[in-house]
Amino acid sequence: MEQSIVQKIINEIERYTPKAGVEHVGKITSVGDGVVAIDGLSRAVMGEIVEFEETAGKTLAKGMDSGGALYGLILNLEEDGVRATILGDSARVHEGMTVKSTGRILSVPSGDELLGRVVSALGEPLDGKGPFAKTTMMPVERESYGVIDRKMVSVPLQTGIKAIDSMIPIGRGQRELIIGDRSTGKTTIAIDAIINQKNEPADKRPICIYVAIGQKESKTARIVAQLTEAGAMPYTIIVDAPASAPASLQFLAPYAGVAIGEYFMDKGRDVLVIYDDLSKQATAYRQLSLLLRRPPGREAYPGDIFYLHSRLLERSACLSEEKGGGSLTALPIIETQDGDVASYIPTNVISITDGQIFLDSSLFNKGIRPAIDVGISVSRVGSSAQTKAMKSVAGTLRLVLAQFRELEAFMQFAQDLDKTTAERIESGRRMVEVLKQKNGSPIPMEKQVAVLYAADKKFFADVAIKNVSKTETALVEFLDGQYSKELAEIKKTGAVSDGLKAKLNRALEEFRLAHKELFTDK
Amino acid sequence: MDKAYAKALWNILEGGAKPKGALNTLHESLKARGRLGLLPKIARAFALIAARAEAKNVVVLKVARKSDSRRALNEAGELLKDAGVRPSDVKIDIQENLIGGWRLEGRERLHDASHKAQLMDIYERVSEG
Repeated sequence: MEQSIVQKIINEIERYTPKAGVEHVGKITSVGDGVVAIDGLSRAVMGEIVEFEETAGKTLAKGMDSGGALYGLILNLEEDGVRATILGDSARVHEGMTVKSTGRILSVPSGDELLGRVVSALGEPLDGKGPFAKTTMMPVERESYGVIDRKMVSVPLQTGIKAIDSMIPIGRGQRELIIGDRSTGKTTIAIDAIINQKNEPADKRPICIYVAIGQKESKTARIVAQLTEAGAMPYTIIVDAPASAPASLQFLAPYAGVAIGEYFMDKGRDVLVIYDDLSKQATAYRQLSLLLRRPPGREAYPGDIFYLHSRLLERSACLSEEKGGGSLTALPIIETQDGDVASYIPTNVISITDGQIFLDSSLFNKGIRPAIDVGISVSRVGSSAQTKAMKSVAGTLRLVLAQFRELEAFMQFAQDLDKTTAERIESGRRMVEVLKQKNGSPIPMEKQVAVLYAADKKFFADVAIKNVSKTETALVEFLDGQYSKELAEIKKTGAVSDGLKAKLNRALEEFRLAHKELFTDK
Repeated sequence: MDKAYAKALWNILEGGAKPKGALNTLHESLKARGRLGLLPKIARAFALIAARAEAKNVVVLKVARKSDSRRALNEAGELLKDAGVRPSDVKIDIQENLIGGWRLEGRERLHDASHKAQLMDIYERVSEG
């Protein structure tokens, strides 16, 4: 062992050639709150990586103990110097320190080795599973693909959540915003979508990237545990910039996530990236901008806050066959305050994305979970990616629910209801129950289709509301056992033929006869 | 405000204006605006700009021992020539922690030919591999 280390040192000395050339440098004139002002570096470019020279003035022994290279990112070019943000421990930086230009633009490692790993916003492993051996460096800031390189979104991205896949379908390459107050189930939807990808065939399964921005470490640890338990980690990468990380890393994390995803997209793979959440990224960017002395605008955000999100989300794409046919779907998350979707950052991101899933805290408190308000949730491009099977069973779902919501409000004032209205209300109530779903249990598309087909045929009309969920679970189990061929056919063809409909009707009748007790308790 | 005045004065002088004339103009301008009280602050800001500019132009050759300085100056000759610096204008600084070799710093440039830098480089390669 010792011999090999000695040999390694000898080899390095033998093939050592001193670094040639002159380096361009600057001196730190002030440092504070993770931002440094540097005198010099007149040739530096925006977004360039600079290296802080910690070893100057120290002995060799102390230099070796300094804890690895420390880098900064240039964010302001000024008349007599530059301003940069420190990408690491700012306590290691002091006034008068020499800063070297590297000529490099910030990039992160990407590749198959990252699958199942937790990495920082700089692509460094955080899970203690060791360094990466073979990766490809991807630029954190990159121009998005142009019109010619893209094609229409046409392949569905199944989230496994009935309410979403049926009424707010998401296509591969789409950007669908998940928006709502705190604790309304935004992250749960995103995690369920990751877990559900397990139901996809391995060759078509999207690589999932979960970017945690400004989250508690405990929450991220819980998510990693949940994904591991669900068997979703082998196709998932976690990019973590926790609340304790410097604002610069929280600002960079989404770009790192998309850069990692672009590697797979360029190779023709499908990618799903979740940014949890962009409100915190905007806050981190505001902090950085104020420290960089950029002029504050509305709510003290800098003038380019819209561009911060638009250039990130524009990198989501569904590429043409000439470009490999890969896709990058984005599910950004925005946290609102008191349900206000009309405030600055939410309206910005709503206008950038191709639709939004709005989570309502009052629905959540009523026990309707996922607490999706279908009235103001929309998917602008997803319907073209929805399977025929889902379209055929979910076509009127939104209308049924909208009518129910209106009648439900009216019902509070009316004493006697006519038979039709009462039936509609009862039907709506059952539909709401059918759309309820426990967290961490996404349902494959074919089973969703079967359940929604049953609901459409008023199958649950004779079931007591409290038993709807139980009946649905039993029905899925029954179909899984007795009619697995039919489910497989829906999965394979993505459609419900007339023959299949007849078989499903027979299955529902058989189930009703076998579970009479569920259909009598009014 | 004082910094803006100091910067303007610096730029005027850099442009080749005579110091006495420039100062008189500044004095009259401040007097006309009733801002003569700013003058001491402007002087301090000007001194800072001047110190910074001087520091930018200083070229320092760091060596581990005084006896190494002649050899180091010879070795750095080409670099100094490229930068338009006369060897007599180079400030020699002794830094024992360099172990050997030399390090030339100044005018936004750095050339580190010290033994410490080379050993650090080897250490990083060995520990990374």
